[in-house]
Amino acid sequence: MKLSAIKCLVAVFILFHSTCFCVASEGDWEHIVAKAKGQTIYFNGWGGSEAINDYIQWAGDVANKRYGITVKHVKVTDIADVVARILAEKSSGRSTGGSVDLIWINGENFETMKKNDLLGSPYSQLLPNYSLVDTENKPTTLYDFTIPVDNLEVPWGMAQFVFMYDTAKIKKAPANMKELLEFTKNYPGRFTYPAPPAFHGTTFLKQLLLESVADASVLAQPVSEVDFATVTATMWDYLDEMHLHMWRKGRAFPASGSALIKLLDDGEIFISFSFNPNEASRAIENGELPETVRTYVHKDGTIGNSHFVAIPFNSAAKEASLVFANFLLSAEAQVRKNDPTIWGDPTVLSMTKISDTDRKKFEQIPTGVATLSSAELGAVLLEPHASWVGAIEEAWRVRYIK
Amino acid sequence: MTKFKDVSYRREFGVKKVLGFFPVVTLFFFLVPVCLGLLCTWLPALGYLPVIGAETIGFDYFLRFFSYPGMAKSLQVTIVSGFGATLLALGLSLWFVICLHGSKFWSFLEKSLAPLLAIPHASFAIGFGLLISPGGWLFRLLSPNFTGFESPPDLLIFGDPYGISLALVLALKEIPFFLLMLFGVLSQLNSEKIIWLGRSLGYCKTRVWGRLIIPQIFPHLRLPFMAVLAYSLSVVDIALIAGPSKPTTLAVLINSWFYSPDSELRLLGAAGATFLCFFVCLAIAACVIFERLFEYWRRAYLTNGSRSCLSESMCWTGKPLSIIFFAIFTSTFIGLFLQSIAHRWRFPDALPVSYSLRFWKKGLVQSLEPLLTTINIGVVATIISAFLVVGCLEYEVFLARKGKKTDARQIFWLIYVPLIVPQIAFIFGVQMVTVALGFDGRFFSLVAAHIIFVLPYVFLTLAYPYRSFDQRYFNVALSMNGSYFYSLIRVKLTMLLKPILFSMACGFSVSVVQYLPSLYVGAGRFATITTETVTLASGSDRRVAAVYALLQLVLPVLVYFAAVVTPLFVFKNRKAMQS
Repeated sequence: MKLSAIKCLVAVFILFHSTCFCVASEGDWEHIVAKAKGQTIYFNGWGGSEAINDYIQWAGDVANKRYGITVKHVKVTDIADVVARILAEKSSGRSTGGSVDLIWINGENFETMKKNDLLGSPYSQLLPNYSLVDTENKPTTLYDFTIPVDNLEVPWGMAQFVFMYDTAKIKKAPANMKELLEFTKNYPGRFTYPAPPAFHGTTFLKQLLLESVADASVLAQPVSEVDFATVTATMWDYLDEMHLHMWRKGRAFPASGSALIKLLDDGEIFISFSFNPNEASRAIENGELPETVRTYVHKDGTIGNSHFVAIPFNSAAKEASLVFANFLLSAEAQVRKNDPTIWGDPTVLSMTKISDTDRKKFEQIPTGVATLSSAELGAVLLEPHASWVGAIEEAWRVRYIK
Repeated sequence: MTKFKDVSYRREFGVKKVLGFFPVVTLFFFLVPVCLGLLCTWLPALGYLPVIGAETIGFDYFLRFFSYPGMAKSLQVTIVSGFGATLLALGLSLWFVICLHGSKFWSFLEKSLAPLLAIPHASFAIGFGLLISPGGWLFRLLSPNFTGFESPPDLLIFGDPYGISLALVLALKEIPFFLLMLFGVLSQLNSEKIIWLGRSLGYCKTRVWGRLIIPQIFPHLRLPFMAVLAYSLSVVDIALIAGPSKPTTLAVLINSWFYSPDSELRLLGAAGATFLCFFVCLAIAACVIFERLFEYWRRAYLTNGSRSCLSESMCWTGKPLSIIFFAIFTSTFIGLFLQSIAHRWRFPDALPVSYSLRFWKKGLVQSLEPLLTTINIGVVATIISAFLVVGCLEYEVFLARKGKKTDARQIFWLIYVPLIVPQIAFIFGVQMVTVALGFDGRFFSLVAAHIIFVLPYVFLTLAYPYRSFDQRYFNVALSMNGSYFYSLIRVKLTMLLKPILFSMACGFSVSVVQYLPSLYVGAGRFATITTETVTLASGSDRRVAAVYALLQLVLPVLVYFAAVVTPLFVFKNRKAMQS
């Protein structure tokens, strides 16, 4: 008797949950847009870059004028904090009126949200602009760190790991991790990486891991299914050696990726890196870096991925979040995002799916002085399985924070 | 006659009822959130957090906490920065008093104190970092001519792994606070006479201070000392800016656990927060014991008759040290200002190569909303706090008037609990409670969270002037109009306008700089100027960080300025009130 009552409750609960998005899918897009009017969304995203914050401000202003929705950008230092909060809300039983309406995520944070059922039912297919996404040639828009996206998040932008160096200080950029180690020996103290879990730091470690394993296919498997210690042994040896020659001799690390820009500008370090291929051009344009800085990639390719926006299951303004996510996917918003003088984040849209006028706009975007062509950017390496992130971060901490 | 007495009795009874309400409400405001917060941190620390399915009570998480890699070093950094900051600040403040008291420079120090107090910790930390780091302004001024550096030297100056730079930032920022307390105490003490007496007995100045004055004033410094020690041992936002990154201080580590997606780590964080709370209590107890021992030892030396005076010859250091102290603050803010209007400013250029106002324009547009949120919360929290504090203090006076023993005073030490108990030790529990009640991310809960920290400072700054008010003015007014509250508002509170406004300005600036309460209770929905500044300090552009640091500074400075100017304006026809 008791058991069946619980079953009944669970069924009601599931029913209730599944109706949330069904309501939206029954009505057409106009219905959603009409319902979105007047709603306020709290967009939680990494707030450490002024360029990105400005862009989000712009998008929010346009959305406000056009759709009557108010976008509040909640600037966070680590998006994992926000995922934790949503999880806390779920565990305390708050299934509506959550504090986050839209969240900027990818990789392990997406995995956490998906695993804990924090994203409700699939919704990205509802967006009219979703059909413009280049899912064929950009597989990372469907597989986020090898985790199937399953329409639970909306692609927003593309990223590729690139390095930057100051040509006024060094003549030749290293072509791989081995040469980077040589560089740190020749120029002691002139290279560093942010301490994980800052995602630039973690990405640097993943790039290093990809270059240090004999067969990268082991990294596509969940970390629990491989021998972590053996796979990563070369990487730790490398780091042990490099830390001795690094900035502050590896006793301190910058807090974030954007802190690297400051250090590169001051000449404290000569090589830096970014997840945005246009970062150097943007920073030069903005007066944050000297004109002598150039971008380069490693010979055998660098890590690439996509980043997404997602709507938590308990969002208090689902319609407005959908409308805003759709706007972020529009050619108009994507062109502006792609402009290196604004943000420089590559588009997720397919040039064959968008209209001719929109394609012209993309073609007219000025290429920055320090931006590589897509041919020069070379091969894109796939991210290891999302579970590697936590494992690497943990092992790094145990090893180096004593 | 009996009828008249009856009316007056009833009136007095009404007053008592109204005023008697205040201590109850005030204590409720504190004890409930702090106690609930502590409890809801202690239970998870013991492994009990049913919402995530943890229901076994035990000491597992404490054991895990102590065996966490890097724990010993984190603790060491916490101790160095916490004790270092407090002792350095107290030592330097006392040294400034000993060396400079009575000189012209001393009165200058007294006047310049308010602006120094108004400076938020975070904006000072950012500015100080921009000044002294290897790529900072100091090295830019000296390079390459004096140092020969073409690129910034690879030195670990700011954010060093020992926590020294953190200690320095905290110490410099706490010196004005200790000096303010010293000014207050010294004004009650006839220190000139004591010095005169001591000197006439052949003791030198430093000895007179050490033997006669400091022992008298130290009891008054005990509470500020404990508050500073507790704050320095458990601060998060400043440690994020100026503290080491590898490993971080305990408070920063615990904070990062509380924000971890792994719910297990939140239990670990609760255990850590509980330990930190215990550790702070232990540290305070150790200081009290040390003080007693020192006192015992000192007494033995008190009458040894020695007139020798080595330290007197060191007194000349007071002036240059205090000039350096001012120079650091001044150059920090000139540096911040230059940074905020720079377009290109690379090492080793002493000054920016090109200037631009666009970061100010952008900063002002973007920070408008956080600024308004900060002002709203600050104003509401301060007004409620001041209202409650005045009510409590008046109740105390009222009881004294009735000839009753002021039992209120014995309870009011509870108000200082939020100053001593580390924020990180109970804010997680407060968050748990607000989330459970659905109160998180609401304006009123954020205001209530701020009041916990604003009220003690309003009380601390208002208690002395309020208690020493010449009650005869009030009695005269009461005898003329017969209304207790009319006399209170029209005469007493009006006459006390200056100290009330000053205490409100203090309360407001405390509200402005709150970081953890805004973060935990605000559920990310309320960006204040402080949360924005700390976020931007960790990365991005230093020009933007400079703009935000200066904006964070502007609010308290404006409010202090208003607190000074308003009485001048209100009392422009009351010459005696203007002094």
